[in-house]
Amino acid sequence: MKKFFSALLLSSISAVLLLGMVSCSKETSGSTGPKELKVMLSEEPSTGDALSEALNRWAEATGNTVNIMVIPYDDQLTKFPLMAKNNDLPDVIATTRLSMLYPDEFLDLSEYFDRALFEQSAIDMINQIWDSDDIYALPQQFTITNVYYNADAFEKAGIAVPTVDNPWTLEDLAKNAKLLQEKGGVKYGMAMDASRARYDNLMYVNGGSLVEKNGAKFSVTVNSPENINTLAEFVEWNNEFMPKAIWAGGTNDNPADYFKNGNVGVYFSGSWNYNTFYTQIKDMNWGVMPSPVGPNGGSSILGGSGLAVPTNAENAELGIEFLKWFYSEDNFQEYLNTDKGLSSMVGITYSPEDPKVKEDYRVLQSEVPKLPNAFVVDESSMWRNYYDNEYRDALKQAVNGDITPKAALDGFALLLSKKSGWALEY
Amino acid sequence: MKTKKNARHVRAFWLFITPCLLLFGIFFIIPLFLSVGFAFTDYDGWKTMNFIGLRNFKELLVDNKFYSALTRTFFYTLFSLPFKVIVPLLVAYLVTSKKVLGKGFARTLAFVPSLLSALVVGITINWMFSTEYGLVNFLLSVMGITPMEWALNSYLATFVISFASNWASTGFFMVIFIGGLNNIPKDVYEAAAIDGSRGVRTFLKITVPMLAPTTFLVTLLATVNLLKEFALVQGITQGGPGLKTTYIIQFIFDKGFSQMQYGYASATSLVAMIIFGFVAFVQFKVSKGGEQ
Repeated sequence: MKKFFSALLLSSISAVLLLGMVSCSKETSGSTGPKELKVMLSEEPSTGDALSEALNRWAEATGNTVNIMVIPYDDQLTKFPLMAKNNDLPDVIATTRLSMLYPDEFLDLSEYFDRALFEQSAIDMINQIWDSDDIYALPQQFTITNVYYNADAFEKAGIAVPTVDNPWTLEDLAKNAKLLQEKGGVKYGMAMDASRARYDNLMYVNGGSLVEKNGAKFSVTVNSPENINTLAEFVEWNNEFMPKAIWAGGTNDNPADYFKNGNVGVYFSGSWNYNTFYTQIKDMNWGVMPSPVGPNGGSSILGGSGLAVPTNAENAELGIEFLKWFYSEDNFQEYLNTDKGLSSMVGITYSPEDPKVKEDYRVLQSEVPKLPNAFVVDESSMWRNYYDNEYRDALKQAVNGDITPKAALDGFALLLSKKSGWALEY
Repeated sequence: MKTKKNARHVRAFWLFITPCLLLFGIFFIIPLFLSVGFAFTDYDGWKTMNFIGLRNFKELLVDNKFYSALTRTFFYTLFSLPFKVIVPLLVAYLVTSKKVLGKGFARTLAFVPSLLSALVVGITINWMFSTEYGLVNFLLSVMGITPMEWALNSYLATFVISFASNWASTGFFMVIFIGGLNNIPKDVYEAAAIDGSRGVRTFLKITVPMLAPTTFLVTLLATVNLLKEFALVQGITQGGPGLKTTYIIQFIFDKGFSQMQYGYASATSLVAMIIFGFVAFVQFKVSKGGEQ
């Protein structure tokens, strides 16, 4: 009996080992069979998420499988180096900053894709490599800071919606935000995501900038008089008609929820929110309005997410294969129709059937050419590689009233100057 | 024969402590030494690591944000510490009292929050104290009281974090106190009763002094927990309003993981560790380890 159990145990172990070897050899030598594409996303894809739907369609069409891992943007910065050290990188990454921070770790996609396929501003903004023609990230979601409005509140307060040809100034914005709060039935006239890009929109409109380019060098201008005035005005707005806690930084509340719940008249966010609002807001009429203009004309802050392939990914070739499929005309068109976003590819546009969406989309498209030169200069300096959170902390402290707008911007300017070696202009 | 037995005991001793020693070494001793090493470099978490001597420490000495974060940490600790010790002591006293009914249920209720992760506690507390959609403000407005701006006032925000921290730790410290209370000999109470001592007097003159070693342990653990409070703050206020609830661990975390200044963050944590060690040393000296 004992011998029988020993033999049974031995044969079981042998079988397990054999199976293990077979499955290992399948994984390593499976060049002809279906493969697994490991994709790193920054958030759990919601129902109808355009990229994950595209990935599923690709898997269905090619017989490969997709393994999605979700790592939030902020965590990607720390997890990516660890993954790289451990040779455990995904094959495709949807990212906003990694390829800019670690260009050596990503494949140069210009070998596989012609730059001319993409809208110039989209590829400049998302690739963020300003001093060479290399492309480390292709534009996937091309977004713009934009302004949503609560149409019901506007109607109640008797306010006419600004148009592309007749946009508001910052003064109009402040005046109408107060009016919305008084007569529009909303708790807050205006709200803004706690993102420096939203705030910078106001800065550019007023003629400010973070840095200036002098020949081949940059200098720090973040504490210019224009910027100090902008921040002082922004602090006042927060005290008068904005949910101050969002910018003072004491809450985790998402201002998008305030807008969706009908508590906000005007909401500065990003075009990437459009599809979510379209799907989720059922009890309120809303739309997209053009950004306000100022002494320096309009402003548009571009951004978005790119798709990149790490050089040392196990299935980097499969990643390229997916990208080629994704950026083919029909597949990108289908992606765009689901995403309802701006197109980053030349000659491919989203043509909405819903007249409301059509009008909103027209407003969003009209914003793209308003890109101020100061924004391009700021981006090309790559100042965020030196300091990023400190800027937001300075704005937070000013909004909370801990320090004056001048002290906040002077302090940040000094930090940036010390770290970057750029001279202070003010 | 005796030597053989001793050798077996020694072998058993090492067998028992090896797993713990391994984990302690991998997750504490090695990172500690690495951190000390990084403190003298400009390590960015990946490819840059140059020896820069004492530069990080020099920068730290003139960093106002570091001093502010450290001061806030001590203020928060001093504010919260009495609650961390007194509340669990009273709860433990109540749930061991013969006069209280449903003690098992009460103990369970008090202990459950300590099983929750800091993240869950943070979410729950946010749900309660959110200025716009929070339960507490809803109840206040139902009662006709003006809702509080929890997220905008630095004292209220500190109170909310302290409340959350106390709520989450009361059960754990209660269990330690229950152990201490059960160790007090019954005949001491009987002798006190014969001498006419009752209620609060017995509690203050017998229970509290007899619990001194337990109270010392709880105080020490609570102090350390408060000084390194992090997850709760991230979950509730993210260090705001402004930087009013940015404590020292947030400061270190931000420098290291958000700004990729691992060297500077390591130098800060080294200085913080020395300061916290000194605090613990003073506690030991002042209370004589709770032995007297």
